[in-house]
Amino acid sequence: MAIRVQLDRVLVERRMSLTELADRVGVTVANLSILKTGKARAVRFSTLDALCRELECQPGDLLVHEPGPAEAFDDDAE
Amino acid sequence: MRLPTLRSTPKPAGAHNPDFLSSVRGLGPGSVSSVLKIALDVAYVLLALITGVLVLLLIAAVFIPLDNVNVTVSGDSGGRQLPLTRMLLLFGLGAVTAYFGGFMLILRSLRRIFRTLTIGDPFHPQNVRRLRQIGLILAVVTGGVWAAQSFVAARLAPGVMEPQGIGELLTPIFSVLIVFVLAEVFREGARLRRESELTI
Repeated sequence: MAIRVQLDRVLVERRMSLTELADRVGVTVANLSILKTGKARAVRFSTLDALCRELECQPGDLLVHEPGPAEAFDDDAE
Repeated sequence: MRLPTLRSTPKPAGAHNPDFLSSVRGLGPGSVSSVLKIALDVAYVLLALITGVLVLLLIAAVFIPLDNVNVTVSGDSGGRQLPLTRMLLLFGLGAVTAYFGGFMLILRSLRRIFRTLTIGDPFHPQNVRRLRQIGLILAVVTGGVWAAQSFVAARLAPGVMEPQGIGELLTPIFSVLIVFVLAEVFREGARLRRESELTI
């Protein structure tokens, strides 16, 4: 996926642990780590809103687009 | 503002929990699902028993003596006697065993699909495979019944039994098609389930 999540970088900058963020945002640590490791397929605006509020950042700080080969939209690959 | 709705809902209790049926919506006593579950269980046990007895009979048929035993094939237009050969006996018993065994396998898959429904996860990817399996077994069993009846009508009881036509294949083909279409629907369901699982 050409979209990369920079959650780990922002977390280091804010000196916040994944567990603490999960607690504040109201998402399970398991789901947050899916997001952090880039396995997520989609992010709800409500989640993004909560993340930006708790981390005091912009969506652009969390998400980066890295141009690469186009990927099939509906691939079933793991 | 906290977002409690974002918290992923805890997985429903699995089949290990004896009270899991009552905890799932629409599965209380007297509901359609609970009646279905009982029907599936009863039918499965009955079919398993019948198949077991038939397998034992099939094994016994290899050894029992068959001297001077005849079968009478009769219909409206008369009948005729056939000597009961071992081949004939094994063919008959084998066909009936395969018939019941096939339906037992179908019910086994159906019960597993139903179990995923009771734990609240009907679009499990395994269910796509199970539905395809059911379609395949249904095709083999109903096709086999048609072929066996054609064989009996043509070879063993010519003139007594009506020969099988293509028309008799329409209903089996139709039912198999329905199952395969359902399997495709479940495949899409499984894809959506995966998609929503990875939506944070």
